[in-house]
Amino acid sequence: MPGDAETASHSRFRRGWLAALALTALGASGPPYATPYVPERDDEVLATLPRGVGHSSAELRAQAAARLDVALPLAQFYISQARATGDLRFLGYAEALLTRWRERTPPIPAALVLEATIQQSRHSFAAALAELDRALGLQPDDPQAWLTRAAVLRVLGRYEEAGSSCQHVAAADAVVAELCAQAARALDGHLRNAYAVVLALPLASLANTARAWRCSELGEMAARIGDSAGAARWFRMALELAPDDVYTRGAYADLLLESGRAAETLKLLQGYESMEPLLLRSAIAQQQLGDPRAARARVLLASAFAVEQQRGEEVHRREQARFLLDLAREPAAALAVAGENWRTQREPADALILLRAARAASRPEAAVPVAQFIREHGLEDLRLAPYLEMTAPRARPEAR
Amino acid sequence: MKPGRRRLRCRLAAACALAAAAAQAHVASTGFLDVTARGAVLQGSIELAVRDVELAVGVDANGDGSITWGELRAAEPRLTRYLAEHLTLAADGSDCALRFGHLEVNGRVDGNYAWVPFEGRCARVSARLKIGYHVLAGIDPSHRGLLRLGAGDSVQTAVLDPAARATALTPGHAAPWRAFAGYFQAGVWHIWSGIDHLLFLLSLLLPAVLARHGGRWEPVAAARPACISILKVVTAFTLAHSITLSLAALGVLRLPARLTESVIAASIVVAAVNNIFPLVTEARARIAFAFGLLHGFGFASVLTEMGLPEGARLISLLAFNCGIEAGQLAVVLAVMPAVYALRRVEIYRRTLLPWGSGAIATVALGWLAQRALG
Repeated sequence: MPGDAETASHSRFRRGWLAALALTALGASGPPYATPYVPERDDEVLATLPRGVGHSSAELRAQAAARLDVALPLAQFYISQARATGDLRFLGYAEALLTRWRERTPPIPAALVLEATIQQSRHSFAAALAELDRALGLQPDDPQAWLTRAAVLRVLGRYEEAGSSCQHVAAADAVVAELCAQAARALDGHLRNAYAVVLALPLASLANTARAWRCSELGEMAARIGDSAGAARWFRMALELAPDDVYTRGAYADLLLESGRAAETLKLLQGYESMEPLLLRSAIAQQQLGDPRAARARVLLASAFAVEQQRGEEVHRREQARFLLDLAREPAAALAVAGENWRTQREPADALILLRAARAASRPEAAVPVAQFIREHGLEDLRLAPYLEMTAPRARPEAR
Repeated sequence: MKPGRRRLRCRLAAACALAAAAAQAHVASTGFLDVTARGAVLQGSIELAVRDVELAVGVDANGDGSITWGELRAAEPRLTRYLAEHLTLAADGSDCALRFGHLEVNGRVDGNYAWVPFEGRCARVSARLKIGYHVLAGIDPSHRGLLRLGAGDSVQTAVLDPAARATALTPGHAAPWRAFAGYFQAGVWHIWSGIDHLLFLLSLLLPAVLARHGGRWEPVAAARPACISILKVVTAFTLAHSITLSLAALGVLRLPARLTESVIAASIVVAAVNNIFPLVTEARARIAFAFGLLHGFGFASVLTEMGLPEGARLISLLAFNCGIEAGQLAVVLAVMPAVYALRRVEIYRRTLLPWGSGAIATVALGWLAQRALG
């Protein structure tokens, strides 16, 4: 609808100056692309295609319109490719395969759940929840739908709802349900207890993906408690089980960066720079080390953020705020983006970037909503604590 | 451009592309559409990632997973045909003829793009440009086109969604008066060419110079009552259609087009027949108001077709409405003095008014049948 284009474009206008700022901050002497040219040699390679997206796969994709048993696994494959490579195009390919199955009456619940996963990956959380509610309306005990719903609600900071979503998984897998519930409780004022419960979970029945998830949760909890060594151990175990998990790799990179281990961070991220969140951390590490490659990473990131912003997307808002704060050194712009990000995402990392940007921009009042949220939920995180002081209500000057 | 400089740029682009190959930050599929309006001629370029061109038309002839310049060049005719089918530019409702130029390559930070220049020839200088962008529709629903539209010294941008029917923009609307002028003109043009609205209004106005006495039309004695009567009818009509035009154009209210168009035709029949067999003689303003509401929906359908430009919806709506009023006023000012002068002429009262109204009613009845049943 033209209306949608308008809304997107409107929000783009609103945020356009940030992209401009980001580019200026780089000291870029022009747009980071060149003038069109005619290659001199016919054998010059212009692009290398990832697996499963060539025109040759068109036949398979065409079959998916008629055959659910082709559409679902292929969509699943594309989604996992998107996660493993950070290549957002795969989400679009998956979505195209699902359209027909989502739009028929009645829709196929599994297609709705996959669509929700796609929206979740794009950080379109409201859309994800809507798809999941549709799926659960048709298939009320679908554990995958409940798990995804819990994960989305957790990112939104709606911990109680996340917890009750987890309960619906218990019939299918009691251990996974418990892991799901504790992951929410850990953010809702029960960090240490949740850590103990997850630690004691029986592992025998768990598949590798669930084991990796458990290790990753334990790593995050340990990091928030302040046990860096323990956290590093859990993260390494998680990555052994699931090397493609961007989220865990990013969390581990942050842990290393916080303790000033930039060289190790670079090693951890080597070969994963095609993913924006990891490229960002790699660039921060390079900057700390005085590595000249940091400049190129900054150009790549700035251009990617600029395109995302022009498209009116929210997918890497947190990373963009961090880019502006740590690489472009534009605290005011970083604070604006971090504030927008906080309106949709409420993970500890989202709180942290907003608090840091508020301090750097000398605008403690901008951090008040975050401080309120943290107090309200009893969110424990050693990394957040030092910033909370600045938002503490000060003694008011005497009334006149 | 001088050859030397061009060569240097080529090298830079190649270096840039090489750097990009080493580490690409992934963004969702994005096309870049650049259009510059110069009168009725549009000059532009469209850029699609080489990867996306592969999905759209198939480039990798030997299926080895890498796309060379030779393969891309061989696919140029297919690409051009694809673009012609998936990109349309229309100025004031009529498609501009697009002619695509020769393919080149542009290295962006996220990889190489196929760059195709084009020229569009439009039937007229456009007040508003409608862009239909359907690249990769059905293949990658997250694909978006980023439009950069330049006109004179103004530049505007928009995000184009391949699933949307079209996006309407007013080139150069950065200067608000230009958007205003464009929509004002469209309003005037619409009332003049949309003869049904004028016939309705005239049917109500023709007897304004007369008064009903003892079952006969008699000329009014002075200009004053005639003017007041005209003013009442015109004001009521204007007020009514402005209300519904605004509500419909802003998407608050919608009525099916067949219904509004049929009722508009019916309103002309009613107004014209009323001149032959007068039922309502003094309260014609009420008829004008009641049917004016429906005419407003008719105007709005035109406006919806044109599209309201982003960022200037209200001003464009106001301009369009003002255009309609101005066009309508011009007709009233041209016709009514003549009618006033004719009011004492027997032939006007006895022949022209009833037979003219009869003719109008007949035409409108035809429309009614066509619109209601067609």
